[in-house]
Amino acid sequence: MQPKMTNHEKARVPILPWWAGGLGIGIVLLIAVALVQPIGVSTQYVVLDGVLLHALSPDLADDSPYLKEASKGWTLATYEFFFVVGIPIGAFLAAAITKRFSTRVVPPLWADRFGQAPGKRLAWSFIGGFLLLFGARFGGGCTSGHMISGVSQLAVSSFIFSAALFASAIVTARWLYPEQVKQ
Amino acid sequence: MNLLLGLLLGAAFGAILQLSGASSYTKILETLRLKDLTIMKVIMTAIGVGLIGVHGLDVLGVAHLKVKDLYLPGIVIAGLIFGMGFALTGYCPGTALAAAAEGKLDAWVTIVGGLFGAFTFAFLFPNLESFLASFGGFGPVTIHGSFGVNGLLIALPLGVLCLWGAAKLPGSGTT
Repeated sequence: MQPKMTNHEKARVPILPWWAGGLGIGIVLLIAVALVQPIGVSTQYVVLDGVLLHALSPDLADDSPYLKEASKGWTLATYEFFFVVGIPIGAFLAAAITKRFSTRVVPPLWADRFGQAPGKRLAWSFIGGFLLLFGARFGGGCTSGHMISGVSQLAVSSFIFSAALFASAIVTARWLYPEQVKQ
Repeated sequence: MNLLLGLLLGAAFGAILQLSGASSYTKILETLRLKDLTIMKVIMTAIGVGLIGVHGLDVLGVAHLKVKDLYLPGIVIAGLIFGMGFALTGYCPGTALAAAAEGKLDAWVTIVGGLFGAFTFAFLFPNLESFLASFGGFGPVTIHGSFGVNGLLIALPLGVLCLWGAAKLPGSGTT
């Protein structure tokens, strides 16, 4: 009999095979395109920023044409924002139902290389998150908007963004986790 | 009604990201290190289905499309910055939300960092806009548009190629 796996260990094994996951994402995209518009996530970070800032200081928020354009009417009650709110809800339910919910700060792979210290991991998570959304807004989209939706529409900008993204991510991953030099 | 649709589609998207391993730091990093290409297979399948389906819907006249503008070299710089963030965090803006909901604290911090990054961009935008506009802005160009052919003519073979490539790429268990 196999030893019982903890939620941590179970979480590392995907439930869906690759083809089912890809097909599922494709179908979500097609339903969205047929009914509303292609999927996208990163704009909603700006929308939340805009609505929060507008609640704290309406004048300052009104000063930014970019925030004003993104968070039209300073409201979160939009199809786009609710789509993004749905993501964590769906992920939580999926993890809970399949008993793969587990909390942690430092991923095991990171801990093997950089140690268990949470501060270091969280500092880089913050910096990485900053770059992620700065880049996404600069490019006008993220993995959902550019890579999935954009490439599917044969958008030239999305092919270039995706190529640059992977080139840079692969180099950065190599820099973080250098290959062992074989003797 | 539209809000409910958004919530349901988003929830389906989040659940699939979770169940296919796309919200896992380890799976993403193993893909970027070219050790385990499972997530690459997922993405290529999604794009293959998307290419064929989106242009199929377009032929039927029921597709709501939104093509993003091309501006060089801005889009390349943006992709490079995004890629660094992707490898450092192991998440993208969407999967960070899924991972946060699974109890991954580094994903919460990634989201907070992201809110600051988006905020910074929003206030730098008036300055960046002139920089972007001064270079090559090409508008929302598509591959089939520049050749002047129907999208399905390119999307169908390219979509099949993506699906074939997804099947051929090695998955987990191979290094």
